[in-house]
Parts: sequence; structure tokens; C-alpha cells
Amino acid sequence: MALGSWSLVAIFELVILVTTVSLLAFGWLMGAKGKNPIRDAPFESGQTRLGEARLRYMMQYYPYLIMYVAFDVIAMFLFTWGLVFATLPFAQEYLFLIFVAILVVPLWYALHISGRRDLW
Amino acid sequence: MTQLQVLPGLQEMVDSLVKIVTSRTFLEIVIFPGLLNVLLSVAFLTWLERKIIARVQLRIGPLYAGIWGVLQPIADFVKLLFKEMISPELADVKLLMLCALGLMMLAAAPIVTIPFGEAFVIANMDIGLIFVFAVMSLFPSVLLLIGWGSNSKYSFLGGLRSLFQQVAYEIPMWLSVLGIVMLTGTLNLAEIVRAQQKVWFVIPQVLGFAVFFTAALAELERTPFDLPEAETELVMGWMTELSGAAFMVGFMAMYTKFYVMSALITTLFLGGWLGPAIIPEPIWVVLKTFLVAVVIVTIRGTFPRVRVDILLRTGWMRLLLLALVNIVVTVILIWLGLGWVWRV
Repeated sequence: MALGSWSLVAIFELVILVTTVSLLAFGWLMGAKGKNPIRDAPFESGQTRLGEARLRYMMQYYPYLIMYVAFDVIAMFLFTWGLVFATLPFAQEYLFLIFVAILVVPLWYALHISGRRDLW
Repeated sequence: MTQLQVLPGLQEMVDSLVKIVTSRTFLEIVIFPGLLNVLLSVAFLTWLERKIIARVQLRIGPLYAGIWGVLQPIADFVKLLFKEMISPELADVKLLMLCALGLMMLAAAPIVTIPFGEAFVIANMDIGLIFVFAVMSLFPSVLLLIGWGSNSKYSFLGGLRSLFQQVAYEIPMWLSVLGIVMLTGTLNLAEIVRAQQKVWFVIPQVLGFAVFFTAALAELERTPFDLPEAETELVMGWMTELSGAAFMVGFMAMYTKFYVMSALITTLFLGGWLGPAIIPEPIWVVLKTFLVAVVIVTIRGTFPRVRVDILLRTGWMRLLLLALVNIVVTVILIWLGLGWVWRV
């Protein structure tokens, strides 16, 4: 019985899933249970808890995330190009190097923007 | 036997079950490149790490459980399994459990396509490299969810830091491998290993190797890039509020990722199973993988931590540019007519 790659991945993941779930379930069954308001408080180095934990921190990193989205797509294009690189005619290899060169300009600009504190 | 004759269907079921269990695919999934390999390697890696870090810091490390403390991971395993799972107030326990589970599944998934020998690969995918990167790019979101779900400031900050760090180092990591893809013209990991028969990719892709290795350290959240769990600032990062079996699963997932990443470096740059035939192929892969792991652990024992802005700038400016330079170097290499060395 020959299985396709994806069904093999699915079976492997299923095996991992069963193992992990059984570990978690075993831990849940065997561990002690109970409620204690002091022990259940989130760890804050022994201090009394102050304020809400689910805050909106660190939005100064937002440009980095935007850059990730852009470069993700670019990386995808580069991979399809690299895959057929050796079989391409010379002119097209050369054109893509220009694309790579152009790529550096917005990268530099985005880093410049993300480095300016007054824009955060 | 008489009972089996009473139920004629049962004999066939048992037969087919035996057939499945002894089939090569099943053994591969459950034993060698699969589950057992992962679990044992993770146990061995935790011991190795503690021992090496201890040597670096002029200590002895685990000593009493088994010879040289080799059985220490098993003692830890049993201990953590019987610990209480504390759920902090207002934490989303279901989300935490689900995330721990997802983390382990994601961490182990690349093992499916990483070849541990000419014949030891579970699924020989044509898009193996893309599959590995696709799985790895799902990590940050899970870490952020754990940080969010555990309702603790330390966890949340750790999760956010993981997100930004892993996102920043993913792109240089992909682009550093592009040179290999250009030279071999394939995304199949086994084919990539076969292409290294003459020269390993560390030699022509030395820049790509440096970028990939650095990015791998950042992806693994290891020193010098272990900001998400900087012990002196953030306790244990996103793992702060996990306890008992959930903590164990999270910890196992991180070490599985460590093992997988070392195996990936071995496959892509260090010639995978290739080597003198005195040692069998799978053992070559495991040996090289642990060698890479030892280097990474030694780096952890030796280097200080970097600052967060330096981390992001290194990722985006230095490594990304170096990866692009590597692509240009590869293009020149092919133009010079050296491409045939690595074509299958």
C-alpha cells in the first residue's frame, strides 16, 4: 500500500498528537488539584499583581511586521526564480538581479522609518 | 486458536494489523526517523546541554542518575509528569493546553521530510524545503497565543519578543538557502544531500551557512538571542506560567525544534548522510546533528545576550543583506561555469 506524502505527514502528526495528548492527560490525572488564590496568582516576582496583563505593548515594532509581510512574498518569488535559475536564458537571470538591487532600497527606507522614535 | 476459528474475521484483522505494524512505513514513523528517535534525542540533548554548560562553567553537572547522569532526563520526565498543573487565575487553560500540543506537533513535523539516510526518509517530498519553512513560520503565532493565554506579564512580554525575533530572522534564513536551491535546482531535501557528493555546501555557500546558522540560533531562542526567556528579566519567557506536564510538553517542543534545526543544518550544508561507508548512513546524520548541537550549546555557554534593538537591526540589516550578497555570489559561481559540481 503506497501512501502519498501528505497522508504520511498526517499519520506522523497523528502519532505525535496521541503521544502528547496522553502525556498531558496523564499529567492532569496524576497531578494534585486544588484552588489557592495566592498560588494561582500570576507570577510577578512576589509582588502584588498590578493592573491588567493583556496590554498592547511594543507597537514600535509594527514596521518590522509590515516588512515581514512584504518580504515573505518577495522570498516566495525569489524561490521560484532560483529553482529554474540554471535553465533560464542569460537575459532573465540578469533582470532578476536588478529586482534584488531594487529590493534593497525599500528595505533601507523601512529600517530608516522604524528607527525614528518620533514616528512611533 | 479455537477462538480465532470461531470468529473468522478476527484472524484477518489480526493479520492485517501485524502487517501494518511490521511494515516499513509504520516502523519509520514510530521508531527510527520518527517518534522514538525524536523522544530519545530530546532526552539526550537535555542531558548533553546540562553537562556541557556545566563543563563550561567549571561544574560537574548531573552525576547520580545512571553513569555520568545519563538517566537524569528520565528522572526529570517522571518528576514533571507527576507535578501539579497550576492554572493561573483568568488564564485560558484550554488555549494553553492546545498551544502546548500544537507546539509539539509543529516542532516535530519537519522530521517527516528530513532524510536520515538514502532509505530513511518518511515522506520524500518534492517541496520538502518549503514544507519545513512553512511549518517553522507557524511557531511565532503559537508562542504569542501562549503568552496571551497565560494572563501574566512575563509570559506576554516573552511571547511578544519571540514573535518579533522569529519573524525578523525568518526572511534571512529563507534567503540564505536560496543559493543551494539555485545550485541544485530542487527543493527535495534528499536530492539536496545527493548534490553534495563532490563538495559539501559549506564550502561554496559559506556566507549562506553563516547567515543560516545565526538565524537558526535566533529561531531557537538560544544565546546570544535568548531574549524571550532572558532569565534575569523575564523569568522563563512565554513558558513562565506553564507547569507540570504542560511545561514538559512545551520544553520538549523547544528541544525537538533544536534537534530538527541541527538536522536541517546537517542536511543542507554538512552533506547529510554522506561520509565514509565504515559508519552507516543514519549514524552519520545523527553524529553530524549532535556535533552541530554541541556547537550551539557551547555558544550558549560562552556568549552574552544581545540587546533587543541590536537583535532586530542585525536581523534586518546585516543578515538580510548578507543573504542577498550570498545570492549574488551564487549567481557569479554559476556564471563562472562551476554549477555542474552540484547538479545531480
